[in-house]
Amino acid sequence: MIEVKNVTKTYGKKNNAFVALDNVSFTIPDGASVAILGKSGSGKSTLMHAISGLDKPEKGEIIIDGKNILALNQKAIDKFRSRTISFIFQSFFVQANESCYDNVSLPLEISGTAVNRRKKRIEDALTAVELLDKKKSRARDLSGGQKQRLAVARAIVGNPRILFADEPTGNLDSATGQVVEDLLFGYNKDNDVTLIVVTHDPDLAKRCDIQIHIKDGKIESIEGNE
Amino acid sequence: MTTRDILRRARRSLAQAKVRTILTSLAIAVGAFTVTLALAAGEGGRQYTEEMVKTSGDAGSLNVYPKRIEPKNDKLTEYGTAENSPSQRNTLSESDVAKIKKIDGVANVQPIYDIQPRYVTRGDGYKKYVAAVNVKIHRTEMKLSAGSLDDNRIPIGGISVSEELLSSFGFSNATSAIGQKIIINFPKLTASGESTEESFNKTFKIAAVDHGTDATLYYQPSLNISVDDGKEVYDYQMSGSSSDKYDGVVVELKDGVDVKNAKETIAGQNYEVYSLQDIRETLLQMVNIAQWGMVAFGALAILASIFGIINTQYISVLERTQQIGLMKALGARKKDIARLFRYEAAWVGFLGGVAGTVLALLVGFANPLIAKTLGLEKGVELLVFQPLTSLILIIVMMTIAISAGYFPSRKAAKLDPIEALRTE
Ligand SMILES: Nc1ncnc2c1ncn2[C@@H]1O[C@H](COP(=O)(O)OP(=O)(O)OP(=O)(O)O)[C@@H](O)[C@H]1O
Ligand SMILES: [Mg+2]
Repeated sequence: MIEVKNVTKTYGKKNNAFVALDNVSFTIPDGASVAILGKSGSGKSTLMHAISGLDKPEKGEIIIDGKNILALNQKAIDKFRSRTISFIFQSFFVQANESCYDNVSLPLEISGTAVNRRKKRIEDALTAVELLDKKKSRARDLSGGQKQRLAVARAIVGNPRILFADEPTGNLDSATGQVVEDLLFGYNKDNDVTLIVVTHDPDLAKRCDIQIHIKDGKIESIEGNE
Repeated sequence: MTTRDILRRARRSLAQAKVRTILTSLAIAVGAFTVTLALAAGEGGRQYTEEMVKTSGDAGSLNVYPKRIEPKNDKLTEYGTAENSPSQRNTLSESDVAKIKKIDGVANVQPIYDIQPRYVTRGDGYKKYVAAVNVKIHRTEMKLSAGSLDDNRIPIGGISVSEELLSSFGFSNATSAIGQKIIINFPKLTASGESTEESFNKTFKIAAVDHGTDATLYYQPSLNISVDDGKEVYDYQMSGSSSDKYDGVVVELKDGVDVKNAKETIAGQNYEVYSLQDIRETLLQMVNIAQWGMVAFGALAILASIFGIINTQYISVLERTQQIGLMKALGARKKDIARLFRYEAAWVGFLGGVAGTVLALLVGFANPLIAKTLGLEKGVELLVFQPLTSLILIIVMMTIAISAGYFPSRKAAKLDPIEALRTE
């Protein structure tokens, strides 16, 4: 379970201060799929960064598995990021010069997974996104959709419990976007993994269990499908 | 992240920027090359010097002569006033020998016998030649073409002949000369050192045939006889005057005695003392100065290459902002990121160090050419490489590269992942 309690994030100082998140609170149950919706500049990415421990809001608590991650030290946060969560970004951020295999290997290296256990997990992840035949290809030679599938493989190889996706289909055409969406929701259902998707796309949002609407850093509404 | 993983990633990043990596490490290679050559030339020079000293005399012994009278306060000493004026005391006597013998650390005092042969021949029916005959009083190493010497000393009744003189005596080669007879005629000398009609023949058996090397400081083709024979001849030649006068003596020191100290002690007793050790040290000092001068040039090149590494690493950090951001977002530790860049710098240092060393080793193949150009004997190596030195140098290069990469790697480690991921 993820509990977000009274989180406030302000950029800049004094006169220039800009409140990107204003006293935000909500709860996400384990295994849920959540869409964060809102206009550009409304604070969606900022919220995602806060929940994933990349950013430190100055006020509030974010409690995951009973621990306030905002109170953790850097070492514990790094461990939390490498073991518990994972990311997919709008612009893929795959390492163009590396092979698909090495791209997927990175999270395992960071989390300190033993060498002899890596190969099977990497190949399983590549199989899940149907890129096993490309494992030796350089990432730069892949198409946009393949790159994002590679990013999905990289995100799931470490068996995260929470998967963050910031506009995962934003740079893809709708057919390719559909494939990536299916992958994400399939992974969410099959593995009981919490999926948090930042999106503009109403159709993608509808597939989620919960929709959180944000406007000017405030929660506008929270809707559930159930 | 494990060291192995980081090393692999570091190597891959470098391989992806091949031209840049090669250029950066080339700068280090120039420095490593210069330093390796300087050290090799220094080592070669030192070995050559030692060889030169060894075949030119015994560095463990001292040559002691009567004290010369130096001008005092820029004024010459007036004749007859100084106690030890040159004319009164230009030789050493038996009492000097006894005095020096008593000094601590002295093992043996050997008078220098200056003998003057009239002629040298193989006997009746052979030609008579004028040749230099020396008494081999110390254990200076002799390079032999044939025969053998025990402890570099000539046996009593034996003689060593320079290879160059063999053909005059009619020997076809060195081996055939061994065991053959050489007769030397020595005249009796007057008190002023002039030859008289009276003379005696002494017969020697050739025990060894020697030859000089280019490393020998002063080599003169000559004949060398033993100390005992030398004494007999000297006593005979000088019997007209007093034979207990020597131009000088050779002092052999006990094992382990410091040559410098002994020299000072003897000089303190009002003698003029020379040792090959002095020459050896002067020569070594010159070699060392030349070596460190060259090393300094190499160090300058290395210094310049440090800026190259810093620059390259900063560019690399900028280029890879996104990669760094991603790694940090995925939970990579600050120190892992710093290590990644440090290892890259280390690789650059390693490549440069190895390249420079290998290039220098290749120059080492020119050793025969160098020896030929300088007119040295075949087989003399003026560039002597030592594996340990090269290894240390490569490690030093890596350390320098890592230090140069310190600030760039710290910048990388400090990058804010959110900022880093915003750049596209
Ligand atoms: N480092 C920063 N300094 C100052 N202001 C910032 C900073 N980062 C974000 N902001 C501001 O915070 C607000 C929320 O930004 P955020 O990136 O969360 O928007 P978003 O909802 O993700 O928009 P988009 O849909 O365009 O990605 C924006 O007005 C942005 O300008
Ligand atoms: Mg955003």
